[in-house]
Amino acid sequence: MLRTILAIIAAKIIIKLSRRFGNQGTVMAGRVARRLDPGILRKLAGRVEKQIIIITGTNGKTTTSNMIAQILNADGHKIVHNRAGANMLNGITTAFIGATNLTGSRSWDYALLETDEANVAPLLKEVDAGVLLVTNFFRDQLDRYGELDYTIGLIKEGVKGRRLRLWLNADDPLMSSFPQDTGLPCSYYGFDETPYDTLENHNSREGRYCMLCGEEIEYLRFHFAQLGVFRCPKCGNQNPEPDFVATDLQLDQGIAMKVNEIPIKSPYQGFYNAYNLLAAVALTRGLGVRDAVIQEALARFQPQAGRMERFSVGEREATLILVKNPTGFNQSLQALLQDGRSKNLFLALNDNAADGRDISWIWDADLEVLAEPGAGITILVCSGLRSGDMAVRAKYAGVDSGVIEIESDLEAGIKKTLGGTGQVGYILSTYTALFQCRKILLGMQSEPSVKAEPRRAYQKS
Amino acid sequence: MAQFNIAHLYPDLMNLYGDRGNLICLKKRLAWRGHECRIQSVGLGQAIDFDNMDMVFMGGGSDREQGLVYEDLITRAEAFFDAIEAGLPVLCICGAYQLLGESYIAADGQKLQGLGFFDFITRGSEPRLIGNILLETQLNGRNTTVVGFENHGGRTYLDDPRLEAFGRVVKGYGNNGQDGSEGLKYHNLIGTYLHGPLLPKNPVVADFYISAMAERRGLTATITPLYDSIENFAHQQVKYKILTS
Repeated sequence: MLRTILAIIAAKIIIKLSRRFGNQGTVMAGRVARRLDPGILRKLAGRVEKQIIIITGTNGKTTTSNMIAQILNADGHKIVHNRAGANMLNGITTAFIGATNLTGSRSWDYALLETDEANVAPLLKEVDAGVLLVTNFFRDQLDRYGELDYTIGLIKEGVKGRRLRLWLNADDPLMSSFPQDTGLPCSYYGFDETPYDTLENHNSREGRYCMLCGEEIEYLRFHFAQLGVFRCPKCGNQNPEPDFVATDLQLDQGIAMKVNEIPIKSPYQGFYNAYNLLAAVALTRGLGVRDAVIQEALARFQPQAGRMERFSVGEREATLILVKNPTGFNQSLQALLQDGRSKNLFLALNDNAADGRDISWIWDADLEVLAEPGAGITILVCSGLRSGDMAVRAKYAGVDSGVIEIESDLEAGIKKTLGGTGQVGYILSTYTALFQCRKILLGMQSEPSVKAEPRRAYQKS
Repeated sequence: MAQFNIAHLYPDLMNLYGDRGNLICLKKRLAWRGHECRIQSVGLGQAIDFDNMDMVFMGGGSDREQGLVYEDLITRAEAFFDAIEAGLPVLCICGAYQLLGESYIAADGQKLQGLGFFDFITRGSEPRLIGNILLETQLNGRNTTVVGFENHGGRTYLDDPRLEAFGRVVKGYGNNGQDGSEGLKYHNLIGTYLHGPLLPKNPVVADFYISAMAERRGLTATITPLYDSIENFAHQQVKYKILTS
């Protein structure tokens, strides 16, 4: 007991100090607490009264769990929720300590834990989760876990024998083997036909082969990447019947769709965010939250740091976007190209552990679109610890070498970018450079003669 | 101006970690010198005429995919090996490199046959050998460094006296983390664990292939130097990072 209190106090002090110094990384607090009391996470997680919910998958974890948090908060529940980037055991421990009192006796209705695929098994050893939601599987940070098959295997092994309900993406063939291999009850969410579907897919696609028998899968249509309507010609494996199905998707202004006939609207953009919305609606409906609460919470929910956040620097607008894998990179580039104005573009590539040490993935992204006529790239500044690799990628994508500049220092790079002749700035960054980029943009924004308030993306001013 | 044909073997199956960057690189570097480059994808069961190819490229895949590729490639093994003996430029990365040997013995003892072109085996083991890697090698009579990223569970042991390594490891693991060798080189074939964009930031290696292709066509005069400042910057940036880490 004394040990627990000591661990909590020590960690709370570290959290305070690290906030004082403007540091986002609060992983250290959890690490120290776990050293002082190895049972701390188990004890604090035991204070969750209704349910512990784990969210994993390659893309959309943060957005989906933020949406779920928004809904559960609006429904009047007390929740504990870890923040983006702090999603291994230490970060999750920090989240619980930040939310508890000095004696560790505070309780919550729900815990909402976003975690890395490889962390599912270790996490389940310490917390009794009732629900695991998987967003999707894309190739991401392969250097940490080897191949995608292996990552999927890790999750299956981790959940085996636990008492859990799985919430799975019905459109992702890579999830086909979960019911059979885990023996757990599964619920599904998925899309009906949409006007944005394609019959062919040229993008980096995962899971061409059936997870059950190894045969090449046939697709009737693609929603995006490998998510779509599929069937295995050999063993008949196909999309499971979704418990929650999204119809009437419209992506023109924000997102509008119906989930099991409930109309949902959101200021987010893009098909990938429609999946995040769908997952959040499905899971919270499953927990018994009323439709009206869900609708209202999602309609009010704004994108956050680095998810298309907008700044005004001088007379110009700059948009900050997080990129972390080929699929996300492609989506960001598409969004950028839909903007008809001329652009000053900044690409920061880091190779710290949280970015993935291996930067090969930038070759799986289709930067070739930047060289298309009408792309309107006036300057392309490559920055970060691997600025050189980014510049080589851009050059071989066909971007004119005369437009490419290398400036490894983030601040100098962003200044150079926003000093370009384009009408608008786009700042794309991998994870570990993101907060720094954001700070730099905020600083430039509050410089004299510039509006002081950050304008969040999609917020009507 | 000439047209070069490069066969990309099993792009659907063997395409991990941005391997396509190597083809993008060759195509561009040929184009900048006024040549055209046609990349022909060859899938399972599809015909390939090695005699009409200027180069063959094959990337890495997961274990399951490697098994499918073996079944298919073994039926064309003889023609493929004859072409290699005749000097066909070939780049095989990671899983494709392992396939060139006798066998791959997984950690649980299970044995996967290789094409048997060369007398070497690969043993699967933990932990995976992952990280940035720096090599020294000699290409076209020039000493050069090669930078890249490796991520492999297999340990490869070259026991064939005909075989030389692609390079010596300055920092990193290489073939097996023990003997300081990385990859293999035989005539104009290179097998290597350096996955992803090997050629773009090692323009010397890219141009080794281009001069080999050109030479076989009797076009040696066409290998004009290119302005590689961005490529060289990227190379030096990684090299510095590796040497100071």
